[in-house]
Amino acid sequence: MQPTLGLIYLTFRELWTKKIVLGLFIISSLILMMVAFALNLDVVDGSLAGLRLFGQTPDGPVEGLSLEQLVFGIESAVAGATYWIGILLALFATAPLSVSLLERGHIDLLLSKPIGRTPLLLSHIAGVWVAVSVLALYLMGGVWLILSIKTGVWHLPFLLSIGLVVLMFGVMYGVVALMGVWTESTALALIVSYGLIFASIVLAASDAILDTLGMVGSTAFVALYHIMPNFAEVSGLAARLARAESATDWYPLFSAVAFGAVAYGLALWIFNRRDF
Amino acid sequence: MSAAIAVDGLCKTYRSGLFRNKTVEALRGIDLTVGRGHVFGLLGPNGAGKTTLVKILLGIVHPTAGDAHLFDVPATRAEARTRVGYLPEKHTFPGLLTATQMLDLYGRMGRVSTAERATRIPELLEKVGLSAQADRKINTFSKGMLQRVGIAQALLNNPDLLFLDEPTDGVDPVGRRDIRDLLVWLRDEGTTIFINSHLLSEVEKVCGEVAIMNEGELVRQGGIGQLTSVEREYRITCTPLPDSLPGAAASQMMRVDEAPAPELEQWRVAAETRTDLNALLDTLRSHNVELEAVEPVRRSLEDYFIDVVSPPSA
Repeated sequence: MQPTLGLIYLTFRELWTKKIVLGLFIISSLILMMVAFALNLDVVDGSLAGLRLFGQTPDGPVEGLSLEQLVFGIESAVAGATYWIGILLALFATAPLSVSLLERGHIDLLLSKPIGRTPLLLSHIAGVWVAVSVLALYLMGGVWLILSIKTGVWHLPFLLSIGLVVLMFGVMYGVVALMGVWTESTALALIVSYGLIFASIVLAASDAILDTLGMVGSTAFVALYHIMPNFAEVSGLAARLARAESATDWYPLFSAVAFGAVAYGLALWIFNRRDF
Repeated sequence: MSAAIAVDGLCKTYRSGLFRNKTVEALRGIDLTVGRGHVFGLLGPNGAGKTTLVKILLGIVHPTAGDAHLFDVPATRAEARTRVGYLPEKHTFPGLLTATQMLDLYGRMGRVSTAERATRIPELLEKVGLSAQADRKINTFSKGMLQRVGIAQALLNNPDLLFLDEPTDGVDPVGRRDIRDLLVWLRDEGTTIFINSHLLSEVEKVCGEVAIMNEGELVRQGGIGQLTSVEREYRITCTPLPDSLPGAAASQMMRVDEAPAPELEQWRVAAETRTDLNALLDTLRSHNVELEAVEPVRRSLEDYFIDVVSPPSA
């Protein structure tokens, strides 16, 4: 257990040194402060009587909006923004770590310790996951807590979307880890992981696109849909959970997790076979 | 008692290129045994395969063929490294940590208990002369200080076998002597030390046994004294030779300029057999020459190394 804890600690320290992680922490804190102080809600007898943002009443139909609808709407927006912007930024912040782990003089020392290669890489990955989980919990959990205290609406399913964000970050970090141990290039790891995310936007529109493709094209498209991580579709799942709507299709999540598992498996296989 | 290091028929071929069709044979059937408690020096020109051999012993590189064991445990297994310390040639420590934090971190990874780390870290920093820098960040250290803290890191788990790759690289002469003293102390404590170095004079001062590698092969191995002695040549230190010495005896001897004392002379003699040497000594004694010392002529390790690895001139 000691080597694993040591590696998690090292990953934490390295992430803290990277100012991007500090930046993410500051941005999260600003959002939390905004929700706490800039969003003023007048709640009378459990109903929304008025809403002010930075002291101004926003344009639009606030009247008739229920307190639940407002809370679900804000939480859904936070979940969506954290899912897309947060994961992209978190990948950007953590991608250099998988490459710096393999730096000559560093990896030699780690491998010379009585720790197997598989636990070594898994400990590093666990460190990254834990750090991102803490950040996601800080932002999304904080928003949930502040809104719940302010409104009295304790919407527990929103907390599931935190798990979903961390899980999908984990899936995409599998791609970063795989490209990192294979090519030792941070840039390539980011290009491939971002490329897969943007490709998933196209794959999410499969119903509309499939009709326009021929036999070969549609077969290839369907194959890609099932093989590649359905990152964009899972964001819809996160938003539905945040809006307290029941999820209708879990397949995109399962196929994305399966993709992540294969990516981690391949990364471990390459890491175990490589010479350093 | 099992050997600290046992290597049998070790081969390593590196493959590169798109289709892995470019090959470099780094090791070609290495056999090597290093006994416990020995200080062993591995020498060789650049590209000889020294680092590859060390990395295979530490599980950092996978062998293509052959076996390597540390204390009878296959080097491929993590348990083999429980009793091992290692200082790589080009080490990169997390610069954001202080010396104490870095040692604590690597101690954890080396499965050193919390209590042991608490006592050993200050002790080791003291031993390598970095007590005053214990709370300084690693990224402010000079090259020599990095080398010292690297040695402390390698000693943290109280290893029975210590691998040092260029341990005195970048260290000033005083620091080099300190490291040498530390190695001698470790040797006296019974630690097996495996040094990979280009500094032959350093190796000569510390190691009892050396091996020389060239182009992936182990070309020589033995005790330093055994390898550097010139076959059947001796240095005789004695009182001045009388004129009455028979011509046959005098012709065997060649005067060496330097002498340890004004009343003594030093001669170099070649004797084909022990009997010839003793006959010459008897002749000297019978002519009232007093012998101070008779010792085999030795070359420096550097001379020997160059002879072994240099290609024969055309």
